[in-house]
Amino acid sequence: MTPLEILSATVSGEPAPRVPIFCNVLDQGAGILNMLPEQYFSKGEYVAEGQLKMLKHYGHDNAWSASYVGKEAQLLGCKKILFAKHGVPNVADFVLKSWDDIEKFEIPEDITQHPHWQSTDECLKILHQEVGSTHPICAYVTAATSLPVILMGMDKWIELVIAGPTDLRDLLVKKCSDFVQQQLVAYRAAGANVIIYANPFATTYFIPKKLIVDWSMPWMQHDLKDGVDSIVFYGGMGPINSVTELVIDKLNVNIFYPAPEDDLSESKRFINGKGLTSGVLDDIKMIHWTEEQTRNEVKRIMALGKPGGHFLFGTGFMPLDIPEANIIAMLDAAFEYGRN
Amino acid sequence: MFENYIEDYNEAVYEINKEGAIEVVERALKDGITPEQVVFNIIIPSIEEMMAEIVINADTNLAQHFMTAQIAAEVTEKMLTKFKTPPEVIGRVIIGSSYGDLHSLGKRIVIGCLKSMMVDVIDLGVNIKAEDFVNAAVEKEAQVIAVSSMMVHTATGEDGSSGVRSLLKERNLEEQIKIVVGGAPFRFDHELYSKVGADNWAADGVTAAKMIKELILEVKAL
Repeated sequence: MTPLEILSATVSGEPAPRVPIFCNVLDQGAGILNMLPEQYFSKGEYVAEGQLKMLKHYGHDNAWSASYVGKEAQLLGCKKILFAKHGVPNVADFVLKSWDDIEKFEIPEDITQHPHWQSTDECLKILHQEVGSTHPICAYVTAATSLPVILMGMDKWIELVIAGPTDLRDLLVKKCSDFVQQQLVAYRAAGANVIIYANPFATTYFIPKKLIVDWSMPWMQHDLKDGVDSIVFYGGMGPINSVTELVIDKLNVNIFYPAPEDDLSESKRFINGKGLTSGVLDDIKMIHWTEEQTRNEVKRIMALGKPGGHFLFGTGFMPLDIPEANIIAMLDAAFEYGRN
Repeated sequence: MFENYIEDYNEAVYEINKEGAIEVVERALKDGITPEQVVFNIIIPSIEEMMAEIVINADTNLAQHFMTAQIAAEVTEKMLTKFKTPPEVIGRVIIGSSYGDLHSLGKRIVIGCLKSMMVDVIDLGVNIKAEDFVNAAVEKEAQVIAVSSMMVHTATGEDGSSGVRSLLKERNLEEQIKIVVGGAPFRFDHELYSKVGADNWAADGVTAAKMIKELILEVKAL
C-alpha cells in the first residue's frame, strides 16, 4: 500500500500494514538545499525540492506545502517577515496596529491571484505531480478565531476577545473566516489532501470552555461550511482532549492531532472508532534526548495508540536543533513498532 | 475583615470581569479600607490565590492569567497614587523577549503580576540582544533578568538565555544577577531551562512572578 492508501485505510478502520507516520520537517528543507530560510521559502520549487528530498531521505509519509505561519499574514497584508538563520520565520509587521484598523481591514478578493500565494501554488503543483497519488500532502490553515493573533499580536487579540467590543471582534473574525474559506478552496484545488486546521482559540488552554461553545464553535462552523473533507483538527500549542467530543458533535470532523500534553489513552477513548487520533511526540525534548530515549518514547506512544487502530503517529513542527541521529532513530522506531 | 472583598474581587477576576473587580476595590475604599490595605490585603492575596488555583485546577486558561495580571497591575497603579508614603519596592527585574522573538503576551502577564507585588519592572520590549539584557541589569542594579522566548530557536540560541549566562559569567556577575526564562518551549521540555543556562523557569506568567520574587529575595539576602 502507498502512504496515502495506508492513511485512508487507517481513517476508515480498514486493515493496513502499519500505522501512518507523519514527520513534520518544514524548515529542514533549507539546510538540505544548502540555502538560508529566506531564499528557500522564496520559491515554491525550492520548497517542493526540499520536501521531496526529505521524503526520500527519511522515508516518512507526508510532504508539506510552502508553509510558515507568517505566510497567511503576508496574504493579508503583512509587509515584513523576520527570517532567522536557524529557525522559524516570524511575523515582524502587524497588519492591525490597533483595534481602529479593523474596520478598514480587507481580505484579498481572490487569494490565488495574490503574489504571496504563487510560491505555495507552485510548490503544491510540483508535489501533486510527483507524489500526489501516493503521499499525503499537507497544508496549514489557521482558524478565523485564531488568525487575528498573527495580524495584531496575541495580547491585543486576547484583550479584544475577552474585554473588547463584541461587534468589533466579530467583524474581524467574519473577515478572517471568509479568508479561511478561500484558503481551504485554494489548497484543495492546488492538490493538498490533508489540511491541518489549527485553532488554539478552541482549546481550554487559551480560553474558557463556555467561550469556545458560544463563540469559537459557531465561527468554526462558518470556516468549514463547505465541508470537512481532509480536515485535521489541531489545537496549535493547546491540548484538545477537553474539546474533542464537542468538535466531533458540532463540526463532524473526525481526524485529530492532539498536543503531546494530551493523554493519548483519553484521546483514543474520545474518538472511540469514530475517526482517527494521533500520538504526537514531544519533539522539543528530542533536541536533548539520546537515540535510546527517542526510541523508547516512540515505543511508548505506539503501545498506547496502536491497539484498536484509527491511529497515526506524528511529531510537532520539528525544531532545527534536533540532531539528525534522533530523527532517524525516531523514524526507525516508528516503522518498527508501528507494524500491524 | 478582608475575606469578603478578596472573595468578590477573585470572583470578578476569575470571570475576567474587569469592571466588577474595579467596583469591588471602589467599594472597599468607600468602606474605609486604605489604598495600602487594598494592595497588600486584597490584590496580592488574590494573585497568590490564583497561583494556588493554577496548581490544583487545570481549567484556568491563558486568557484568565493575562486578564488577572492586567487588572491587578491597573488597580495597583491606581492605588499607588493614593498611598500616603511611596511603597518600598522589593527589588528590580529586567524583562524582555529574546533576540529574534517578537512575542509579548507571556512577558506582559509576568509584568502585571510583578508590578502588583511591588517589584520594579523594566521592560526592554521584544527582540532584545543578550548584551542589552546584561547592560540594563548592571545599569539599573536589577537582581533578575527575565528572558521570554516563544520559539525554540530563540529559546536555545546564543542570543537568548545562553548568551546572557555567558556574559554574566564573563563579567563575574552570576551571584548578583539571576536568570529566569519562560515561554512555550520550556513548557514542552521542563529541563530546557537549565540547558540554556537559566536559574529557573515557570510554566505560566502568574507562577513566574512568584518565582522571580523569591529569587530577588535570595539575591538580596547575600
